[in-house]
Parts: sequence; structure tokens; C-alpha cells
Amino acid sequence: MSTRPPTIAERLLDQIVAPAPQHDRDIALAIEAHGLVKHFGEIKAVNGIDLRVRPGQIFGFLGQNGSGKTTTVRMLTTLLRPTAGEARVAGFDVLTQDRQIRRAIGVALQEAGLDILQTGRELLRLQSRLYNVPRGEIEGRIGHLLDVVDLTEDADRRIDGYSGGMQRRLDLASALVHSPTIIFLDEPTTGLDPVSRQNLWEYIQRLNREDGVTFFLTTQYLEEADQLCDEIAILDAGLIVQRGTPDELKATVSADVIYVQVDGDEMAQQRAVGALLPLPNVEDAQWDYNEGIAIYSKSGHDTLPRVVRTLDDEHLPFSNLRLARATLDDVFFKATGHRIEPGDQVGQQPQGGTA
Amino acid sequence: MSAIEAPGESPISTSRESGPLRVLTDARYLAGRAIRESLRQPGVEITNIFIPLFFLAVSTGAIANFSERGFGVDNYLAFQLPVAVLQAVAGSSAASGIAIVLDMERGYFDKLLLTPASRWSLIIGRVWADAVRAVFFASIMLIAALVAGSGMASGVGGAILILIIAGLFGGAYSGIGIFIAMRTGNAQAAQAGFLLFFPLLFMAPAFAPLAVFDDWLRWIATVNPVTYIMEGMRGLVMEGYGWPVTEGGQMVFGSDGRPLTKDPPALHWAFVSLAGFSIFTLTIASLALRARTRAD
Repeated sequence: MSTRPPTIAERLLDQIVAPAPQHDRDIALAIEAHGLVKHFGEIKAVNGIDLRVRPGQIFGFLGQNGSGKTTTVRMLTTLLRPTAGEARVAGFDVLTQDRQIRRAIGVALQEAGLDILQTGRELLRLQSRLYNVPRGEIEGRIGHLLDVVDLTEDADRRIDGYSGGMQRRLDLASALVHSPTIIFLDEPTTGLDPVSRQNLWEYIQRLNREDGVTFFLTTQYLEEADQLCDEIAILDAGLIVQRGTPDELKATVSADVIYVQVDGDEMAQQRAVGALLPLPNVEDAQWDYNEGIAIYSKSGHDTLPRVVRTLDDEHLPFSNLRLARATLDDVFFKATGHRIEPGDQVGQQPQGGTA
Repeated sequence: MSAIEAPGESPISTSRESGPLRVLTDARYLAGRAIRESLRQPGVEITNIFIPLFFLAVSTGAIANFSERGFGVDNYLAFQLPVAVLQAVAGSSAASGIAIVLDMERGYFDKLLLTPASRWSLIIGRVWADAVRAVFFASIMLIAALVAGSGMASGVGGAILILIIAGLFGGAYSGIGIFIAMRTGNAQAAQAGFLLFFPLLFMAPAFAPLAVFDDWLRWIATVNPVTYIMEGMRGLVMEGYGWPVTEGGQMVFGSDGRPLTKDPPALHWAFVSLAGFSIFTLTIASLALRARTRAD
């Protein structure tokens, strides 16, 4: 995919088909959920999620491994039955109208789900047939999609000879054969190189802009959520702890963040936080083992010298003092109490206990 | 809503036809894929030919010389042919369970579940493919035995009937593999689906007629559906169809008022057993699929 990024985006545009309304009724919300819960025995993966995604939105679910993102996607895409709560996708009930939902949505799950003994073209053909794409249109459509994901040359090779990136692109193409109006992408760019990631972002934005396709994507990349999404929900321990547009979310933390590493044990850290919190303009201060203390301030320039003075007065040696603008990372930290660490693929522990 | 129309594209029809016909259409596509899968890994299939041929050769070689003296079977190769057919078919059908587990592990099973295709078509597609493969493997056993001189008392028609029975047995047997795959999602367990075949096949008159069995084994064999399927095929190979006895174009009736048939009258029992066996395996397979896709 690294060869000609801009042309791919152009070709993506070319293959777009205006999605047909799936039924006459106007859909007020593309995705809607109330009190969605999923427990696997003792493990409480999702603990009561409410969602309202409007048609045409790019909605981002931001959270770490085990926060409940994938479980939520699997419930919304009819692969899992919720333990409690209700949800509608494309206006259809996930419990009783699962087939109508499957017809309306396209899904690319976290792991590219492919049959490696088929060729890329055969896989897309079978997929098209199962989605009942009109016979006469199948081959043309497959040709376009292969072109779009830059797999035309490899279309007639068996998938077991594809690289990881190629398999992901094929998986994505297979989610598009029936021109879905709502597309679910579970961590679409995890494991992609930066160029491929950029290409995919452009593709998502174009499909969204040109055709009003709704996207529900999960990610553990703050940057991805920031760039792509109209609305973000931060998920932690199976609950939405914060939601809003990227700007709204950034506004929930103070304009500036001052980071400082204080030497000493946890007692020292607590003492420092206690001393810093009462400072004027300071809205919050939190300690994190890796990042040190983060001080949220309405006015960093005023606060910075006060921080220095306070720590000196308390006889707390410190280092690495710096001032930064608040990012989604800070929003995430403030909401969940821990930093997001993409790439820590610690298996798939379904749910930690960090409430 | 701007869209640069690509040639030959139109919005996907919303009135996707459904019902039994659609299920069969989807199943046919999925069966085609499953058969393609076999063709692309011939190495896996070789064992399904080699093992039953090996058993056919060694059991005939060891027993044929005294089978007539021992229990009155003069053509032991013919006696063994149905065993080879059933063994080959069971071996190939059990592989379906493993294929499903692999699909699950690779995430492709989810991909299929995400399509609007009926869940039924996922099962029927596999069963269908297994039936086709069963006919293929049964043909190889049949040809090998015929070449080795087993003979075929019921002629071409009987050979075709044997292939039909093999196909039905293959489809039914695939239900066991599907059931195990759905319940466990575990490749080793699915592999064990083949092992079930040992009690089914060898607690039946596989090596000798029921008449010479010990009582306990004979009792088990009489409730084993495979006994009747095996005897049905065996009748076709060794004796004929079991058609009604006729004299001057008229059926002859016995003292119980029922038409007398030539021996063996086992063929219809073979089909009755096949029906029962398939209903059982396909029911448990469907229930397991339902449990997996709805409860989880």
C-alpha cells in the first residue's frame, strides 16, 4: 500500500456507491443502545452502555485492551447477545432483527477473518454471493474493490501467501461488497504501518463525506480518535466514562498541563499532589507511576513558577518540569486514572478490575 | 450523497429473497468453497484413501482363506467392501469438524456469521460438501475392490445405490463433526470425531456376520444403525437387491400375507437407519450451532 497513497484515495472515491436506504422508515439514529450489558460468567465485560450515533457520524470508541470495546462491537453486530439492555442498529433491534442488521452493516473485526485457502477474488466472490449482490454486478464490483485496496495484482493468489497488511486490506474490501450504510471497524489500524494507516483514514473520511456512511470504530490510538472522529466515547472497565467531540473532551481538562517528576516514594508523591492542588488556577493534579505528576491548570504560565516554589518549600526534589497543551491523552488519563498504552497486546484479558 | 457511479453498479436490492430456496443457494456456495478447500490440500485427503484401502487389503489377506470355513463367507473381499466405504466416508466427513474449528480460529466463521446468510446454510453447506466428498471416496473404494475381484451382485444399479448410501452417510456423519466443533471450538476434540467411528463401525458386523458374535456384542450391533447401513450395502455387493420374489410376473406372498423377498431384505433397513442417524446428528449439530451463535 506504500506505493501511491494519494491515488488510492482517489480510487476509493471512484468505487463508492450511494447506499440505498435499507427501509422506508427514516432512521433517526444509526446506532442506539440503552443499558447494554455483557457478562461472561464472573467477568463483567460491558457494564451498561448508552449510545446514540447519528447517521453520517464517525463515532470512536476509545479504550485499552479489555475495556469492553470489542464486546460492544460484537453485540452491536449481532455476534453476541447482550446479557441485558437493548440496542438498535440501522433502526433494527439486535435481538429480533439481526438479519436485517447484518444486511445493512459492514464489519471488519480486529483479526482479519479470512479463509486462507481461497484466493482474494474467490473470497470476495463468495462474500458477494452471500450478501446477495446481483449476479451481473459481482465481478465488476470485485474488480473495483480489489483496485481500491490495491490488491488487483494479487487477486488470484491464495490468501495464505498474503502479508498481514494485505490480509487486512482484503478483509476491509470484503466488508464493503454490499455497500453498507453503517460500517463497524474494530481497531482498524492496529498493526498497520503509518502510510497504510494514513490511507485508511483518508478512505474512511471519503466514504463518510461523499456517501454519508456511518462509522463506528474502536481504537486505542488517541491520535486516530482525534483526527477521525466526530464524537468519541472513552471506555474503561466496560463503562463509558467520558464522551463528546474531540474539542469538547479537550475542554473538560484544563487548557494546560504541567508535568513534573518528583523524586521519592508514593508518600512523597501524595504530599506533592496535596501541596499543589490548592494553588490558584489549578483544577486537578494526579500522579502516575510512569508520567509523574500532571497538574491541570487554567493558566499554565502563571502556575508553572508556583509549582517550582511550592515543591521547593516542601523540600521535594524534582526534575523534568514541562508545560504542555492538553491532549486527548490527558482527557483519557483524567477520565480513567491511567494512561493509554497502545501496543501492549497482553493477550486478550477480557476485563481487568480497574473500575 | 454524491457518488461517482462505477460501471455496472447499483444499490443492493433490499428485498433479498429468503426462505428455503435462499438457504439452499447459500449452502451451495458454501459447499463449493468447502470442496475447493479439499482440492487445495490433497495431502489431507490422501489418508482417507490410504487407510481404508490398507485395512481392506490386510483384513482380506488375513481372513479370506478361512472365512468360508469359519463363518460361511466365501467372498470376503466383497464382505469387506462396505466396511472400506464407510471407513473412508467417516474419515473424510470427520475432517469437516476440523475445518470449522480452523475457520473459527482464523475468524472466518465470524465473517460468515456476519453475512445475512442463514445459519442453516452454514450447516447444510458443510453437510452437502461432505456428501459429495463421500461419494468420491466411496467410488475409489468401489473401483479398487472391483478391480481386485469383489464382484457386484446387483450390477451397476447396486453400485449407484451404494454411492447414494455413502453420500447420505457422509452427510449424516458430518453432523457429528459439526456438533463437536460448535460445542468445543477445539481442533483436538474435532479430530476425535473420527474416533467415534470405531465403536460405530466395529460394534457392527465389520469382520464377521452377526451370527458368530458373542451375545453382548451382537446385542450392541443390533441397536447400532451402522449395522443396517453396512448390511444394506453388503447385500447389494454379495447377493442382490432383495426385490420381491416373483413367479410368472406375480409377487409371491408369505404366510404372514407380506410379499416374500429375495435375501437379503436389508436394503430398506439401511435407508431407515440412515434417516434416523441423519436426523439425530443433524439435530444435535443444529442445536449446537444455535447455542453457539445465540447464547455465547
